[in-house]
Amino acid sequence: MARSAAIRQGAAIAAAAVVIVVIGWPFVRLGGVAFEDGLATALATLTSPLVASAIWNSLWTGVLVAVLAVCAGTGAALVTERLAVPARRWLRLGMLLPLLIPPFVGAFGWARAYGPRGLLDQLVGSDLSGLYGPLGVVLVLTVAATPVVWLIVAGALASRVEPDVERAARVSGAGPLTTLLTVTLPLLRPALGSSAVVAFVFAVNAFGVPSVLGTPAGFATITTRLYQDLALSAEPSAFVRVTTMAVTLVVLAVVVVGPTDALLSRRGATRTAFAAGGGSNGSGGTAIAMAMGAAIVVTTVLPFAAIVLTALTRATGLAPVPANWTSANFGEAVDSRFVGGLVHSLILACAAASIVSLLAALLAALRGRAKVLGSAVTLGFAIPGSALAIAVLLAYGAWLGDTLAIILVAYVAKFWALGHRQLAGSIDRLPPDQVRAARASGAGPADALWSIVVPFLRPSIVAGWLVVFVFAIHELTMSSLLYGPTSATLAVVVLNVQQLGDPTVTAALAVLLTGVVVLAAAPLAVLGAGRRAPAR
Amino acid sequence: MTDGQGPVVVCRNVSVAYGPTTVVRALDLEVRRGEVVALLGPSGSGKSTLISALAGFLPIRSGEILINGRTVATVHRCEPPERRDIAVVFQSYALWPHLSALETVAYPFRRRRVAPPEARRLAAEILERLGIASLADRRPAELSGGEQQRVGLGRALAKEASLYLFDEPTAHLDAALRTRLQSEIGEQRRRSGAAAIYATHDTAEALAQADRVVLLRDGRIVQDGSPTTVYERPAGVWAAELTGPASIIPVRIADQHDGRARLEVAGVSQTVVVATAGARAHGEVRAIIRPDWVRLGGDVPAHVDAVAFRGTHTDYQMGTVAGTFGVRVAGPPTMGLGESVGLTLERVWIPAELNDEGASEGPNL
Repeated sequence: MARSAAIRQGAAIAAAAVVIVVIGWPFVRLGGVAFEDGLATALATLTSPLVASAIWNSLWTGVLVAVLAVCAGTGAALVTERLAVPARRWLRLGMLLPLLIPPFVGAFGWARAYGPRGLLDQLVGSDLSGLYGPLGVVLVLTVAATPVVWLIVAGALASRVEPDVERAARVSGAGPLTTLLTVTLPLLRPALGSSAVVAFVFAVNAFGVPSVLGTPAGFATITTRLYQDLALSAEPSAFVRVTTMAVTLVVLAVVVVGPTDALLSRRGATRTAFAAGGGSNGSGGTAIAMAMGAAIVVTTVLPFAAIVLTALTRATGLAPVPANWTSANFGEAVDSRFVGGLVHSLILACAAASIVSLLAALLAALRGRAKVLGSAVTLGFAIPGSALAIAVLLAYGAWLGDTLAIILVAYVAKFWALGHRQLAGSIDRLPPDQVRAARASGAGPADALWSIVVPFLRPSIVAGWLVVFVFAIHELTMSSLLYGPTSATLAVVVLNVQQLGDPTVTAALAVLLTGVVVLAAAPLAVLGAGRRAPAR
Repeated sequence: MTDGQGPVVVCRNVSVAYGPTTVVRALDLEVRRGEVVALLGPSGSGKSTLISALAGFLPIRSGEILINGRTVATVHRCEPPERRDIAVVFQSYALWPHLSALETVAYPFRRRRVAPPEARRLAAEILERLGIASLADRRPAELSGGEQQRVGLGRALAKEASLYLFDEPTAHLDAALRTRLQSEIGEQRRRSGAAAIYATHDTAEALAQADRVVLLRDGRIVQDGSPTTVYERPAGVWAAELTGPASIIPVRIADQHDGRARLEVAGVSQTVVVATAGARAHGEVRAIIRPDWVRLGGDVPAHVDAVAFRGTHTDYQMGTVAGTFGVRVAGPPTMGLGESVGLTLERVWIPAELNDEGASEGPNL
């Protein structure tokens, strides 16, 4: 007993040390620099027109995206999990497609599909006016955030709303709509709340989408303003603005996420999953499924198809027909920058995934005994990448500036929560009696850990590793602020080419980047299918 | 509720399937007003599926279902549950986590546009009747399993339906609470004249509660009769073993009239009450014998193979040259293992199935 207590203490100290290095110290530095010249100066910067308008834009687009994504994601979840629709499996797969496409690639795709001189323009001679500007930013961010809402709500529908509970309402005389309003939605309230927070944080966090669709139209959010001030501006006041905005982002995240996290952890044990029922047999199932399929095609498939066509076409402005096809763009795309970016991204993603897996195991060993550490790790994920990157830069820029190492520190701080959640979730599902049974059968503590706990957790460890890897491969926000001449990642290379304004080469790079993400995500899908299989 | 005199439920040639798997096959069933029917079968026999089809949770693949003379389900049409004159007590309770006991029971009243204060008053009355008035403000998470079950029952009673459907209503309850609930269900039925269908795998409950017992196997009705009929004249070995302990013993019938027969068992001649279903009730046959149809003392030589004291009675396994008998005797054990004893048969049942097919199940208790 004494030995396991010592092990636990060691784990707690080690985890606390890493939390301080990757999260604690950077934010102390950030706060210090921001308030260096006193509160009055900080407030003055905050209310200056450039900063205030960026904050306001981030806020209202964030709220709007959260509302739209919750509506779309919840509607989609009700369709895929509750209605008798044909091709349910394909619809579910379609809902997940946007996750495979890095958001800024999605934005680029929308521009190629529906923007000026895009696919729609070439086919019917008109484009989606306002795509460059707030409308486009909100639309594309909503498309990117909807799958996350869908995942959360569909999961809650399966675990919290047993079909019998809805049937009981129907038997009691409630029609489908009354059942939805009086039973289903009230039970989904925690899921709707948390998914709205996730969508809001995601939208405020977003850098790639507003940078592709907002910046050209002069529409700045906190993240794009930050990038411009830090990367493209030399005036001294720019740096003050940078730190002030970074602190604002931190405060926003804490204010929004803090109460929700506390609220959600109070709701107690979740129910065991229930096999999704056949649901009611609505006659409009086919029509609804087709409408949903069409929405997926318009928002995700067509934009990506536009990128592929652009990548295959010899020059912008030419019709995307086979006569004009070429592979030259790919040849041009795969240069030394691309190879360097790919190598850097792979190294960073592997390192971040492995370190995060180790750290997650360290936290899991504490089994909820270190709530503060868990909260700090969650915060690391919730705080927008721009703020995190500035904080890391302030803390370690002097020693590690322009190296892969400083990007790695930011990745670990950001993605630790992803690995932690995976592992903590499944360690809670391990029945305590299984370990007791091993001990009663004669296994020592280490033996029980190795023979019972580790095999039980293996799928979660692998899944956590892969999730972090996928996120790290297409991370753009932090990398774009932290990279140096010799440490550009793949996503940064794509963004830089896009900003130089060569659509065909950008398209080829975007296709390649998405390909890398899909390759990395494929084992995850196999793993997910394998894990769901025994439940059937 | 309608005042018609016709059956409350008519199922004609009803089949129900989950995807490609047919679970209920071409089933015919009628339930009359005020009748309690138990669907008795092992898990996977289709009893819960039939309940789901009657409630409108599942469409049917063939045939039709009528409730109160009105067609509610055909292959092409499935009337939604809220328009059917039914109430359901769920096996999983299916209480709403966000509603209190009172709100839950008031819910069906509110759906019939009863004003909120009146709905609350009626709901409180039902909770009172079920003895859980003090729990009115509690949510499911704050209720024990038995209390949740009663709230679920209260919600069903609030529907004031013609047909009550019970999906394993007492599966998770201890014996004392079960008795209590059964009497509450029975009282409601007498009061309103409604019919009830129970799905259960508990034989004792089915025999005690139902006017009629329907034995289900692989989605088909094996037997449909009164509790006494299914116990005394089970359709076959499977039905006999489902409805209680039974031994299968070869006997030789010499002559038979007026329901009594001279028969030879283990070489000893006995005069017993005999019931036969068709076929060869003559010569060498295989008979089903319940443990309460055998008496201690008599000419059939036996020895005690096993003894189990059950409180109100004792179950013995008695070995004879013809096979092993289960014997049930009131009171505590009076004999030990290996002791020799004589037996008398009082009654046997010779089902058609056993002797037509020559099924070869061994003795079983």
